[in-house]
Amino acid sequence: MYKLHIPIMQTEATCVIRLFDNAYIPFDPDNSDYQAFKKDLANGVELQDANGTAMTASEITAFLATLK
Amino acid sequence: MAYGSVNADTLVTSTSGGVLGAGNASIMKNRIINGSMTIDQRNAGASVTNVASAATYTLDRWFYYASQASKFTIQQNAGSVTPPAGFTKYLGVTSSSAYTVGSGEIFQLAQYIEGYNVADLGWGTANAKTVTLSFQVYSSLTGTFGGALRNSNSDRSYPFTFTVSSANTWTQASVTIAGDTSGTWVTDNGIGIRLTFGLGMGSTFSGTAGSWSSNNYISATGATSVVGTNGATFYITGVQLEVGSSATGYEYRQYGQELALCQRYFETYQAGYVTGANYSTSGSQGFAMYFKVTKRATPTMAIVSGTATVSNAVAGNAGGTVAINNQPNSVSNGGDLYVTGASGIVAGNAGLLLPSTLIISYSAEL
Repeated sequence: MYKLHIPIMQTEATCVIRLFDNAYIPFDPDNSDYQAFKKDLANGVELQDANGTAMTASEITAFLATLK
Repeated sequence: MAYGSVNADTLVTSTSGGVLGAGNASIMKNRIINGSMTIDQRNAGASVTNVASAATYTLDRWFYYASQASKFTIQQNAGSVTPPAGFTKYLGVTSSSAYTVGSGEIFQLAQYIEGYNVADLGWGTANAKTVTLSFQVYSSLTGTFGGALRNSNSDRSYPFTFTVSSANTWTQASVTIAGDTSGTWVTDNGIGIRLTFGLGMGSTFSGTAGSWSSNNYISATGATSVVGTNGATFYITGVQLEVGSSATGYEYRQYGQELALCQRYFETYQAGYVTGANYSTSGSQGFAMYFKVTKRATPTMAIVSGTATVSNAVAGNAGGTVAINNQPNSVSNGGDLYVTGASGIVAGNAGLLLPSTLIISYSAEL
């Protein structure tokens, strides 16, 4: 599972937390963890918003469309 | 006086014993990083049990992938056998059970080579260069083992085999592979070549050794399954991939050089004094972190252990222990570290990240 993270002094998520090890994964297409994150979402792995609420499939689709 | 000679593999000088590329003197001929299994930043020689379905790094640059959990352990110098001559370390895999691998299952040891480091091979073109893979292997099993080279898309693969004739004896193995003139081979900071050794491979991912295929073959058909025998061992070191049609002497690098090569992909930070800035009365502080080595890509940050201890940069201020908040705006040569929640932090003051138990990892593995 993953959770979006909005850093201090930011208004939008700039990274995602991989919850099993609390790793902060940047939204960098060259980062292999980010590549795995996108594959996981395509396979139905849960993504939570920054408040910890599970996002719906349509919300995830809309979010992914904003990423590189 | 003869001045020496040059062939495809070596430069032979007129000085007795002076052979570049065939022994001690060479410069970056080996495209494998940590082929001597010397660097182990993550585990410092401790044994790890495999998890399932996740590429998991062990010794630096080497990772395993396993379809089932707890089928083997990996450790630097597992079993404490004497390494082969010229080496002090090896990567040791020990099977934890007698598992029959399913047709679609994968148990592998691998290193992915960055495209920049193999761009000169010209793979995917008519000028593709021949390479030779060599290594020292030791196993409690005898027989034919397998592995493969693949491209980033896994739509070009070359399964290979090697033989261990004597159990529990170090054996020098080498495989020469004509460069692939087809397919797409990445030449930037992505995956250039996937090198894998099969520890147990399903038939779906096993192919005929000795030729290029457009299938995703990770090992060779009929290769010995290490995970198929409880307690079986597979130890390896001295892994070298070089241009040419024959194996030459292993390229030894200085320890610091090898470590720096590894740190392009992974490094740890242990908290010392770092200055930063306090920017709110709620205890929020920011610290600029600089990596020891520029990373291949923006890295993933994780807390290995400990918590941050911070304070104002004022004498007598003991500060407080707080959790790391995040790592926004990270780039390949450094990242920002934010913490929040410490008491007594004064906005506008300089802040201090103090020596503590905090250990952070930055990973930009392929």
